Amino acid sequence: MQKKQTEPYLSTYLHSKGAKLGLPIGGNFELTSRCNFRCPMCYVHNAENDSEAKRRELSAAEWISLAKQARDRGMVFALLTGGEPFVRRDFFEIYHAMKEMGILVSINSNGSLLDGEIREKLFEDPPFRVNVSLYGGCEETYRSMCGQPVFEKVVDNIRTLKERGIDVRLNLSITPYNCHDIGKIYEIASALNVHVKATAYMYPPIRVNGEQYGTGVRLSPSEAAKYMVSWDKMRFTKEEFLARAENMRNLCSVNTRECAADMEEGVSCRAGSSAFWICWDGWMLPCGMMPGPAVDPLRDGFDAAWDELRQKTAEIRMPHGCGTCPKRDVCPVCAAVCVTETGAFDRTPEFVCASTDALLTETELAAKEMEPHAD
Amino acid sequence: MQIKKEFVRRDVAGETILVPFGKTIYDANGLFVLSELGAFLWDRIPDAENEETLVRAVLEEYEVDEATARADIAEFLGKLREMGIL
Repeated sequence: MQKKQTEPYLSTYLHSKGAKLGLPIGGNFELTSRCNFRCPMCYVHNAENDSEAKRRELSAAEWISLAKQARDRGMVFALLTGGEPFVRRDFFEIYHAMKEMGILVSINSNGSLLDGEIREKLFEDPPFRVNVSLYGGCEETYRSMCGQPVFEKVVDNIRTLKERGIDVRLNLSITPYNCHDIGKIYEIASALNVHVKATAYMYPPIRVNGEQYGTGVRLSPSEAAKYMVSWDKMRFTKEEFLARAENMRNLCSVNTRECAADMEEGVSCRAGSSAFWICWDGWMLPCGMMPGPAVDPLRDGFDAAWDELRQKTAEIRMPHGCGTCPKRDVCPVCAAVCVTETGAFDRTPEFVCASTDALLTETELAAKEMEPHAD
Repeated sequence: MQIKKEFVRRDVAGETILVPFGKTIYDANGLFVLSELGAFLWDRIPDAENEETLVRAVLEEYEVDEATARADIAEFLGKLREMGIL
């Protein structure tokens, strides 16, 4: 498995400059809510043949117009996502148009449709990257989690894309449905020599569940920590794991945030600063996990909507306690986590506090097992 | 002189970047950033008969001695050739 994936320096630099200058360097385009899978933890999915959802999707012309406006404002990177973007028959109309604008286009996909004519079209005009979500290590897991036994097909599609020179990366969501498969998934990724970005934290899918904050199909904090540490033990050597454990320990033992005790923390990532997310029905958000702030680029034009989004995002404040927490540097908390767990940006997401505590504990236990004589 | 690969030249955040498209992504999967001189040369390469044309253009535009101009141009074109772009 490819062990390390660092973002190219130029991308980081452009995002930093974009944040300073108010430019939308990265755009996420959620082309559809429809998908041929039915994963229970997904934050946006309707049935592939849902005619009402299809009717409400933006047209190809609208997507292309928004992309052009975003490009003119500075967008360099675009991610086409869904739902499953390849259920749209006009996918390539949007994709080719965006590439010709001078945008580096990546695609999120479940991998099941990346064959036949779709695959040939990708070979002819390749994307910057394809991120495939791998949901399991066998047909049974795919059947129970996604509703379709297409494991072999997905792996074959990934292998073929790789063989033809397309950059593929895997996303792994560890859930109650597939946690028993992570060993197999690791072996598959190693054989394919692809990088895997794994997480056992699932955002409560409040964009589809309404106001059911803090709920979702996911592992408990202690279960999630056990599986994440198992994953880390597979992907790291003993020395790397121990170094990581020590680093986590050090980050928590020295509270670098005490001096910031009176400061409130805003959105710390690129969302609404140098990046945006346009939902399948046209609303623009800082990030696809958040229910808002939402602005309307179709009604107001991209420029005005982006300016409004930046302003509203800058007003978001995270919980005071997170800003001063000694575990902040090892915690995945973010504005989207807070609002999906609690219904408010400035309310402490206890589930994530517990998850971080559990991960620290599990990592320590595993480190001690590796060094039985260490004090 | 001919650019063999497909790139879109863009000016973003005060930088001149080259974004690959079409099958060029197989060979150059990422962005290239051009210096001011690189951008100047990039714009003139398609219409330039040879390196001499570029040297004359640089000497007309910049307060620079000929030896420095020749060295800078050779370095830039050399990098493009190394990457199979020129």
